[in-house]
Amino acid sequence: MKIAHSLNRELLSTLFAGRTKSGWWNNLGPLLIPLLLFTIFLLVVGVNPLEAYVIMFQSVTMDFYGIGEVFVKATPFILTALAAALPAKAGLINVGGEGQLAFGALFTAWVALFYLSSAPGWIGIPLILLAGALGGAVWACITAFLKVRGNMNETITSLLLNYVAIFFLGYVTHGALKDPASFNWPFSPPMPDQLRLVPFLDTRVTVGILISLAAAVFVWYLVDRTRLGYRIKVIGGNAEAARQAGIPVKRMHFWVLIGAGSLAGLAGAIELAGVEERLRETTGMGYGYLGFLASWMAWNHPLRLIGTAFVIGFITVTGSSLEINTGLPSSSVKILMAFVLFSILALGRRKSA
Amino acid sequence: MIIVDVLTGSVRAGTSVLYASLGELIAERAGIVNLGTEGSMVAGALGAFAGTAITGNAWLGALFGGICGSAIALIHAFLVISRNANQLASGLAVMFFGVGITAFFGRSLVTEQIKGLEPIHIPLLSDIPWIGRILFYHDGLTYVSYLVVPLLWFVIFKTKWGVMLRATGEKDEVVFAYGVNPKLVKYAAVLAGGFLAGLGGAQLSIAFTNTWVENMTMGRGIIAVALVIFSAWNPVRAMYGAYLYGGAQSLQLVVQQQGIAISPYFLLMTPYVLTLVALYWVGKNQRSMMPEGLSKVFSGAGRS
Repeated sequence: MKIAHSLNRELLSTLFAGRTKSGWWNNLGPLLIPLLLFTIFLLVVGVNPLEAYVIMFQSVTMDFYGIGEVFVKATPFILTALAAALPAKAGLINVGGEGQLAFGALFTAWVALFYLSSAPGWIGIPLILLAGALGGAVWACITAFLKVRGNMNETITSLLLNYVAIFFLGYVTHGALKDPASFNWPFSPPMPDQLRLVPFLDTRVTVGILISLAAAVFVWYLVDRTRLGYRIKVIGGNAEAARQAGIPVKRMHFWVLIGAGSLAGLAGAIELAGVEERLRETTGMGYGYLGFLASWMAWNHPLRLIGTAFVIGFITVTGSSLEINTGLPSSSVKILMAFVLFSILALGRRKSA
Repeated sequence: MIIVDVLTGSVRAGTSVLYASLGELIAERAGIVNLGTEGSMVAGALGAFAGTAITGNAWLGALFGGICGSAIALIHAFLVISRNANQLASGLAVMFFGVGITAFFGRSLVTEQIKGLEPIHIPLLSDIPWIGRILFYHDGLTYVSYLVVPLLWFVIFKTKWGVMLRATGEKDEVVFAYGVNPKLVKYAAVLAGGFLAGLGGAQLSIAFTNTWVENMTMGRGIIAVALVIFSAWNPVRAMYGAYLYGGAQSLQLVVQQQGIAISPYFLLMTPYVLTLVALYWVGKNQRSMMPEGLSKVFSGAGRS
C-alpha cells in the first residue's frame, strides 16, 4: 500500500514537474526544437512536412494494430533504457544494450531449442525469460570485469563489444543454430509453439509489455526507496566520497552492470518469444541504442523513461510508413532521433533525477 | 611472402584508423573525448566519395571529406564546450547522426563508380627489399599520414601551440590566466580532430575500397578512441596501435586466401577483440598519463 502511494506521488510529480516558471520550456523544448529542425530538414529534401506528419500520425492511430505496434516497440525500448538508466545512477554509461540484448536472444533461442522444445509453457516461458536475462548478464560481465579489474572505461568497452556480439550472432545463425530446413537462410528454427508469448486481440502486443513496466517500477523502487539504491546514487554523485564512506565502489559497479545486462537480455528474450520467433543476425538491431536514447531523454529516470520509450516507439513505427508513403528512407528517422538528443543535450538538465 | 603481405595490408587497412586516432588525440589533448569520431569518419567517407564523383579529382574529394568531418565535429564541440553537455552522451548522439545522415544522403551513390587515389610507387624507396614493399606502394593519403605523425608529435611537444593545447587539457584555468580563451583552444582542437577523422574516412572510401556503403566505417571511429588511450596520447604510439589494428584486418584477408577453415565471423571479430586486449594490457598503469581534464570525463565525475 505504502509503495503504491509513493509510486502514485512520484508519477504525479513527474507529470506535473513542469509547473514552475520556466518549466514548460524545459519539458516541451526537447520536443519542439527537434520537430522544428526536422521540418527544416524535410523542406530541404523536398517533402511536404505537413503531409509527412499527417502520415506519421495516421499510421499509428487508425487501427488497433497500429497502436499495438507502438507497444510492441516500446517493450524492448523500456528494458534497454533501464539497462542504461540503472548504471547511470552509479555514474556509469552503459552503451552495451545492443550486445547484451543480442546475447539474451541468443541464450533464449539456445535454451528453448535444445532443452525446452517439449517443456510445457507454464514452466518453459519463465525459464526462457531467465535464460535471456542470464545471457545479457554474461555479456555485461565482460564489460564489468574490464571496468573493475582493468580500469577500462565502460562506454568504450561496451561499444566495442556490441560489434563482437553482432558478429557472434552471425556466427551461430550461420552455424550451430541454423535451421536445417531453411534452405541456407541464416536464421534459427522457430521457437516451439508453447514457448511463444500469446498476442492480445488483433495486435502483436504480448505480456512482454507488462514485464517491461514491472521492471521499470522495480528499478525505480530499488533506486529510490532502498538502502542499496541510496548507495548506488551516492557512488554516482561522488565515487571518491562513497569510497571514503566505506561503500565498496568496485563491487557495486560490477553488479550494477550485471543487472543492466540482465535487463537488456530480458528484452532479447521477449523480442524472440513474442515478436521475432526465429533468431536472426538482425534480431533487436538498434534497440540497444534507441533504449539508451530513451533513457537520456528521461534523464535516466526509471519511470519517466517509460514515456520516452513510447515516444521513440512511436517514431520508429511511423518511420516505416513514412518510407512507404513518401519515399523517405527509414534512416531519416535516425536523423529525427539525433535531433531530439541534440536538443536535450543542448538544453541541459533541470535537476538530477 | 605472407608476412610482407600482412604488413603491407596492415598499413593499407590501418591508415584510416590512424587518421581518426590522430584526430581524437588532438581533441583529447584539449580535454575533449569525442565518440563522434565515428560520425566524422563516416561523413568524411561519404563526403570524399561524393566530392570525387562530382569533381573527378580525388584530392579535392579528400579535402571535402575532411571538411565534412569537421562539420560533424562542430556539433559535438558546440554541445560540450558551449552547452556543457556530457561528452560521452554527446559523442554518441553525434555518432548516430553521422551514420543516419550519411545513410540518407548516400543512397544514390551506392552504385556510383569513381576513380579514386591510385597507389603511387615512390622511386628508389620502393626498391628497398621488404620495407619498400610494405611502406612505399600505397595511395597518396597514406604518404600524407607518414608526414602527419611526426608533424603532430613536433607540434604537441615542441611548440608553444602544443603547450597551450596540453595545458587546456590538464587545467584550463591556467590557460585562461595566461590570457587565452580555453574554449577557443578546445573548439580548434575538436574541429582539427574532426578534419583528420574525415580524412580517415576518405582514405577508406576513395583509396582503400573505392566504394560507398552505408555505415562503412563499422566502428573504426570507436576503435580509434580506444587506441588513443592505448597510445598514452602520443602520436607515434597511436601509429603503432593503428597498424596493429590494420594487421588484424589484413590477417583476415590472408587467412581467407590461404583457405584456412576459420569462420569469417571470428575473423571479423578479431580487430575489436585485439583492441580490447591491447587496452587491457596497457590499461593498468596508464592513469597517470591521462590529461587531467579527461580523467574527469572517464571516471564519470564530469557528468553534467
